[in-house]
Amino acid sequence: MAESAEHVTCQEVVELVTDYLEQALPADEAAVFEQHLNFCDGCDWYVDQMRTTIATVGRIEEENVPPAIREKLLAAFRDRRRS
Amino acid sequence: MIAYKFLRPDGRSVFTGFEWPLPDDTPGAWVEAPVVPCRSGIHACRTADLPLWLGRSLYEVELAGDIVEERTKVVASRARLLRRIDAWNDDLRDSYTRDCADRAHVLARSASPPMDDWDAVVELGIPEGPALLGFVAARIAEERDGLDAYHAERDRQRSWLVERLALADSV
Repeated sequence: MAESAEHVTCQEVVELVTDYLEQALPADEAAVFEQHLNFCDGCDWYVDQMRTTIATVGRIEEENVPPAIREKLLAAFRDRRRS
Repeated sequence: MIAYKFLRPDGRSVFTGFEWPLPDDTPGAWVEAPVVPCRSGIHACRTADLPLWLGRSLYEVELAGDIVEERTKVVASRARLLRRIDAWNDDLRDSYTRDCADRAHVLARSASPPMDDWDAVVELGIPEGPALLGFVAARIAEERDGLDAYHAERDRQRSWLVERLALADSV
């Protein structure tokens, strides 16, 4: 992960945020990640927004997606698999 | 085991938002959680950890049950807040921030060659508070003289806090 075991940069926070929110970071790495959030308001806000976004998206059920958009997504997925 | 815990001004945990039972004339109620470092359990500071986790309000906390000492924190399965450490107030936070800024300037300006780019950001960081300025001073020390200098600066910050907050340094 980070160049130093003692701290992470803002860039590294962006790269590690998913692992952090999924509790997939080893304890030592999670600790330096949280130390960064403790003094960097920008990253703290960013992680908060990511947490909110994931929670919101996680509440969307398949039936909440309009049929037209569902068809577009499925078509895009099929095209991607063919390419 | 006696340790220390930073909370938000309203008594909630910095990362989880947990509402702590606060002490008044008597200790707060015991809180329990299984110990899994950075996942679960009550996370607290030894004095050496204080500069890494500076927050708005500071409490003395009694830890019990399973206690795991990690590199930058201690995690316990039971804890209660004993007292708020009133000396950690806005004035002392400002003094600490200024002290770290001054230290950062000294380190940057006495480097060979002087670290002008680093020196320039010190004053800009002051409004962000003590946690950032402590980090800035330690990072300048590390950039200048290596990782041992980072730890030496963090230890200097620990001593500053222990002395001004009149904490027992055996923790």
